[in-house]
Amino acid sequence: MNDRNISVVLEDIHKRFDANEVLKGISLSARSGEVISVLGPSGSGKSTLLRCINLLEIPDSGRLFVSGEEVLLKRSRNRTMPADMKQVERIRSKLSMVFQQFNLWSHMTILQNVIEAPVHVLKIPKDKAIQRARMYLDKVGIPDKADAYPVHLSGGQQQRAAIARALAMEPEVILFDEPTSALDPELVGEVLQVMHTLADEGRTMIVVTHEMGFAREVSSRVIFLDGGLVMEDGSPAEVFEHPATERFSAFIKAMV
Amino acid sequence: MDFTLIFENIGIYFTGLQNTVVLVSISLVLGLLLAVPLAVLLNYGNNSIRLPIRAYIYFFRGTPLLVQMFLVYYGFGQFDLIKDSLLWPFFKEAYFCALFAFTLNTGAYTAEILRGAIKATNHGEIEAAMAAGMSKLLMIRRIILPSAFRRALPAYSNEIIFMLHGSALASVITIVDITGAARIINSRYYSPYEAFVTAAVFYMTLTFIIVFLVKKLEVRWFAHLQPQSNNPAIEAPP
Ligand SMILES: Nc1ncnc2c1ncn2[C@@H]1O[C@H](COP(=O)(O)OP(=O)(O)OP(=O)(O)O)[C@@H](O)[C@H]1O
Ligand SMILES: [Mg+2]
Repeated sequence: MNDRNISVVLEDIHKRFDANEVLKGISLSARSGEVISVLGPSGSGKSTLLRCINLLEIPDSGRLFVSGEEVLLKRSRNRTMPADMKQVERIRSKLSMVFQQFNLWSHMTILQNVIEAPVHVLKIPKDKAIQRARMYLDKVGIPDKADAYPVHLSGGQQQRAAIARALAMEPEVILFDEPTSALDPELVGEVLQVMHTLADEGRTMIVVTHEMGFAREVSSRVIFLDGGLVMEDGSPAEVFEHPATERFSAFIKAMV
Repeated sequence: MDFTLIFENIGIYFTGLQNTVVLVSISLVLGLLLAVPLAVLLNYGNNSIRLPIRAYIYFFRGTPLLVQMFLVYYGFGQFDLIKDSLLWPFFKEAYFCALFAFTLNTGAYTAEILRGAIKATNHGEIEAAMAAGMSKLLMIRRIILPSAFRRALPAYSNEIIFMLHGSALASVITIVDITGAARIINSRYYSPYEAFVTAAVFYMTLTFIIVFLVKKLEVRWFAHLQPQSNNPAIEAPP
């Protein structure tokens, strides 16, 4: 587990909501530099899986390692809980998340959004954080929006701002949960293009998506989740050309 | 109708003005300082801490301010515990009693306003804060409260104005606030009309200043909601 090249490891992760067992034993490891697309029908637990990685959901059982460090969980009164919130906060600060609904902090300007966590969580000096923020706003193509409020941006611009906010933490892994699903079709391209750039830079990304084009052409690995289990796991070429399961062939057919 | 007697006695009104402004400002500041942690605890505290806070709010919203003030001013003196304590020199003073009752009263209303505003925080923004590695305290300080204050401002500006007008009750326990000044003039010259119209003008002026200041704060705080000026189609009406 101390392999420096492995960013995230999940071992036999289970998660249920009351009677509904959503994840039934997921094992997965993400090497640094990998771009993993997570596919699956609605309700198959893709978001839940992603949210277990940064502990927005706490797995009921299984083990989770982030950059070599095991997340300490304890059981109390039939519930699993983090044993050490400080550790959870530290691990979350190494994993950025980009949400379907952007979730920018609405009372802050874009620049303030981008520097907020670097300054207050990572304790980076403010002037350095601002410099870095401007660089990332440049990278996602909205350098002129630094002083605008989120509500004044289009959906695509908001999502690119959210990506800049994620990048500003210089995270080990970026988790994307359907980053283009809330966007008008004509705005999807600009966000995918930014993500393509990030993939080319060798950033480690785990992307829940319904964009088959992205999964095929940009990601280095595709995972298909169904019924709470990993049904397919391989390079896009392998998985798309030679699906191992009937379910996945049916899924691809339905998507195109 | 003879307003010359008002001009001759305007000094009393200015004393009253000063007392009203000091009394109301201090109560509002202390009440707000009290309300913020209470509102946070109402949202994020456990049951054993929420229950007494709820009881406090229920009492102060459930009884008239006048009754609360009387309880403090006339009531506290009946308890030997208070009479013998170091606090007695304070509770002996009408001014302090009014301040005490006003602070707890506005604290209760403000806590309730803020509780609702905190509860209405966009859950996605909270998740983004958690995902960024913020501790609960940092998230409350940097994300939840700043956004809740903005949502609470319209309701809170009403609370400020209610408090200003409610403070007229202080005159009942011998305090010379604006209303107290009017009562003195009235009893001295038997001219209720002049005396209370003058008081009304003072209150209206103060209210106007409050509304003006809140408006200025809204412009600054609500920038994130305002349409951009280069988009005339959705320009806010003047
Ligand atoms: N907080 C929750 N409480 C109860 N049930 C939940 C909760 N979150 C998710 N679920 C349930 O878990 C299942 C998986 O949800 P999840 O959001 O992970 O699916 P998904 O694969 O992301 O679907 P979609 O493609 O629609 O986003 C669903 O049946 C959902 O109703
Ligand atoms: Mg989902």
